[in-house]
Amino acid sequence: MTEPQRVDRRAFLARTAALGAGAALPAIASATPVSATTAPPDVEPRSRDLTELTIAEAATLIRRGRLDPNDLLAAYRARIDRFDGVYQAFNHVAETQRPKRGVLHGIPLAIKDNYFTAGIPTTVNSFLFEGFTPPYDATAVARLRAAGAVLVGKTQMGPLATTRATTPDGRITTVNAWAPNRPEVDPGGSSTGTATAVAGRMAAGGTGTQTGGSITAPSNAQNLTGLKPTMGRVSLHGIVPLSYTRDHPGPLARDAMDAAILLSTMAGADPADPRTQGLPRVPDLVTAATPVRGRLRWPTRIGVLPGYTADPFRKSFIDTLANVRGVTIVEVPLPEEWDPLTGGAFNNVRLPERSEPFLPYLATDLRKFGVSVLGWLQGALLGANEYLIGQRAKTLLLERVLTDTFGRCDVVVQTGPVPFDILGLPELALPIGFTADGLPVGAILGGQPFAEDRLLSIAAAYQAVTDWHHRRPADPTGATIRAAGRLTAEQVAQTMQ
Amino acid sequence: MAPKPPTDDELNTLIRARLALLGIDLDQLPPGTAPDPVTGAPGRETALASLRSFLRTTVLPLGTYRFGPDHSLAQQTAPPLLYPSITEAWTR
Repeated sequence: MTEPQRVDRRAFLARTAALGAGAALPAIASATPVSATTAPPDVEPRSRDLTELTIAEAATLIRRGRLDPNDLLAAYRARIDRFDGVYQAFNHVAETQRPKRGVLHGIPLAIKDNYFTAGIPTTVNSFLFEGFTPPYDATAVARLRAAGAVLVGKTQMGPLATTRATTPDGRITTVNAWAPNRPEVDPGGSSTGTATAVAGRMAAGGTGTQTGGSITAPSNAQNLTGLKPTMGRVSLHGIVPLSYTRDHPGPLARDAMDAAILLSTMAGADPADPRTQGLPRVPDLVTAATPVRGRLRWPTRIGVLPGYTADPFRKSFIDTLANVRGVTIVEVPLPEEWDPLTGGAFNNVRLPERSEPFLPYLATDLRKFGVSVLGWLQGALLGANEYLIGQRAKTLLLERVLTDTFGRCDVVVQTGPVPFDILGLPELALPIGFTADGLPVGAILGGQPFAEDRLLSIAAAYQAVTDWHHRRPADPTGATIRAAGRLTAEQVAQTMQ
Repeated sequence: MAPKPPTDDELNTLIRARLALLGIDLDQLPPGTAPDPVTGAPGRETALASLRSFLRTTVLPLGTYRFGPDHSLAQQTAPPLLYPSITEAWTR
């Protein structure tokens, strides 16, 4: 298989020199494009429980005629009926659909409720979208359906994709599947419902969106493998915008292979979204996520940031990776001005992108934004000068990441999702352990532009020698739902993605 | 010499005027600090306090950021990019 994308240093240096003292834009070169394939491999099931099957396992059984997709869907629906009163992962359970033939034939998926779904309500969990039923599917949903996936339901989310899932007026709903009786345990960001649905075995996989950590955070919180692809890899057409330049659609899954299968289906150029056009072809993600016996698929330098291994979970994670043949662990410094350029004010320059598409609603329905309104008002207050400073800072930050970080490594650990969300770079979240009280611990790896294949290859190698990703939460006990509290508008403003 | 920091009253005027220019009347929110009982939207005094804090903590650091010590050369650096990772692919 062809080497995945990497920085072309010679091209970068040539362009930098040509532009003299200016902060030139570095260039990257992807490897020779390879033909994408979405054909999942044959994977032998590890369990007889249908809801324990990974997508790859279920698809194998369905292809072999050993599993009726109706039985698979019935098994998931039975768990929804039994447990979603506690989990509160769905805000709409879809009617039974007849699946098309394809690589995802009969695979039940949970769809975050900011993706348009034709004929199925799409509320973004907001008063503003009450009663809205889209006339068409989001491109990503259309592709999943065309591949045979069954939409088991729309998932609960932070109102307008801001925070952990609450009602539009702030009442906490969805719980972490690993602590269903402890609603104070954070289930992750706004893709909470999808994460809880997959972790709680009410769907085989699902979709999320990430603007400030909302795929990686719930994946880490709920022992899942989540993949936030490079901006442009998956079309945003038919997804309600939170921040145009930072919204990334991607999968939440049980392991690297399932994430690869889902992303392979969702990704690719879309005539309706110019951001997806003229980009490197989607590589063979399924092969990238297939572990190679005894070694990493491609020799890879994994960058470790200062202080990262002070955390014992992270140290164990890095130690395990270091023992995989083909991995070289290298220490990398944080780029200059990392903290100011990735935090606070510079992160806030995203906010006009959420107010602008909602100006008609802000003029007439301010109260209907519920507890989320402050972020939209903040965006309306930022002027063009501040916005441009933020966009210039993104250029500067990417240059520094490509030179200071990816000049030394191919993949870099992340201590938080926001910097690579600002830059539109890919991130993969994966399980790396459990706390003493049984809560999942995860890590995030960051990659170069369009290098999702490299990230998947590392996750596959790690998951070939660990079993964290095989562990599932116990079913909820007790029929009562604990009062979970309520977020105020000020709390939402402080924690929103 | 740095200008005198704006007062709360001055910021309140700025906030209301700026929002009004965009067609947004902050008085759609409930008066005072109590949230709307139906939607949870904050009271307008709560919103104003939050927005004043936002302006102070966001506009100031952005406005005073410099892309280099020599302003004439700094103008030549880091052109604004909405989608830097996509631009990497488009320009490589």
